[in-house]
Amino acid sequence: MEKILVSSRGVNLYYDSARVLKDITFDVMEKQVTALIGPSGCGKSSFLRCINRMNDFIPSARVEGEILVGGSNIYAGGVDVIALRRNVGMVFQKPNPFPMSIYDNVAYGPRLHGVKQKDRLDETVKQSLVGAALWDEVKDKLKTPGTGLSGGQQQRLCIARAIATEPEILLMDEPTSALDPMATARIEELVRELKKRYTVVIVTHNMQQAARISDRTAFFLMGDLVEYDATPKMFTSPEDKRTEDYITGRFG
Amino acid sequence: MDGRRFADMMMTVLSWAAALLLTGMVVAIIGFVVVRGYSVLSLDFLIEPPRDSMTRGGIMTPLVGTLQLVGVAMFFAIPVGVATGLYFAEYARDDMFTSILRLAIRSLAGVPSVVFGLFGLSLFVILLGFGPSLLAAALTLACLTLPLMVTASEQAFLAVPKDYRDASYALGASKWQTIRKVVLPAAAPTVITGIILSVGRVAGETAPIMFTGAAFFAPHIARSLFSEVMALPYHIYVLATAGTFIEETRPIQYGTVLVLLLLVLGICSGGIYMRSRLRRLMRR
Repeated sequence: MEKILVSSRGVNLYYDSARVLKDITFDVMEKQVTALIGPSGCGKSSFLRCINRMNDFIPSARVEGEILVGGSNIYAGGVDVIALRRNVGMVFQKPNPFPMSIYDNVAYGPRLHGVKQKDRLDETVKQSLVGAALWDEVKDKLKTPGTGLSGGQQQRLCIARAIATEPEILLMDEPTSALDPMATARIEELVRELKKRYTVVIVTHNMQQAARISDRTAFFLMGDLVEYDATPKMFTSPEDKRTEDYITGRFG
Repeated sequence: MDGRRFADMMMTVLSWAAALLLTGMVVAIIGFVVVRGYSVLSLDFLIEPPRDSMTRGGIMTPLVGTLQLVGVAMFFAIPVGVATGLYFAEYARDDMFTSILRLAIRSLAGVPSVVFGLFGLSLFVILLGFGPSLLAAALTLACLTLPLMVTASEQAFLAVPKDYRDASYALGASKWQTIRKVVLPAAAPTVITGIILSVGRVAGETAPIMFTGAAFFAPHIARSLFSEVMALPYHIYVLATAGTFIEETRPIQYGTVLVLLLLVLGICSGGIYMRSRLRRLMRR
């Protein structure tokens, strides 16, 4: 039984007077992988950043419409943005571990939210690293700098850091674009594993990646949501001509 | 040979000559001081106070005085300077008010040090009634070094990659949590380098302290913030121009110059070395 977890209702995003997203309306299903695809500048990353309100940091950005997460509008007045971000984790394009130890990277979120007991932190760090398929590689060097790992390992460390606050939703903004094919394959495998416990929304430039790992795909073009459907249908018989042109590589 | 090649060669020769001249001057200055001063240098010179109208003994009192001045000045300058740098890098909005503040600080950096001396005299010595003292002189030095400190720490905070901040905010951190746990630790090495360079600058200043607390002679080291202190730069000035037995004190004078030079050069090259090491580390 599919259940809606994130629901976008007529979302418009403006940077000053420029309208970057136009009336975006669609639902993200719980414990599925939803891919956002489209050419550069189409608004897919901007939309992703609406879901955890990271656009708040851009002074010129303004959001209209509603995004419901678990039924409540995150753009309503008085929303606790800190609690929201704890529930909606994010992994960025470039692996960005903090310049601290592997352990402290993963423990960062739980510590922010008040976990102090060492045994609880130890357990969370271990579970998160296991969950990010990194534990076996780093269990003997948890005190060494996270920045000393390879690019792919750093990105898995960032995933471990994101799931350490036990979010429901994981946002991934082109998480493999800075990685080599081997590291990319490992992350893709991990994403398939992650959806057993988390709802994943992933922005990707790579259409094969969207086809391989996602359950549903949303195609963005110049701020519009052109088409949104089950991934197999999107890649075999899209309704819209523009979707077809894009996935067959005619532009973008 | 055509004109272009000739011009090229001339410019190469000229810039080489300029660089050589500059290097030569630095070597000459240091060489001159070393040759004149090294004969008096000894452990006793560093740990004995001046005696017999400063014609004998060492420079313990001004050496300790300089360290005291630097210490007290930094005690005030570091918190204010770093906090202001943090304000510019993290909190200031991009508006008129901020531009004016920035301009004010940049201009402060261009104010001659003797003007700081007069400012310290009227504010700390007279108006606030500290009298000529360690405290007044150190506060004057702190004012002098603030622009450097503010600029250095602002640059250090701005150099912390935005990626770190994004990651921290995305985990639900507040602005202050992000600054305290990520930005400050990441910027700390660069901020510390800036502080070391300011220390080097402050240790060698004469004009700001001569009206505000540097003593011609003090029988012992300052035991209170309100005592006058001897200081290396002012001691040199006294020995060279205002002493009673200028000829007799000449060797001591050059010895003092050598110690001050070594102190300042040592601190600054320590700072520069640290900066270059950190830059290499960052690039990795």
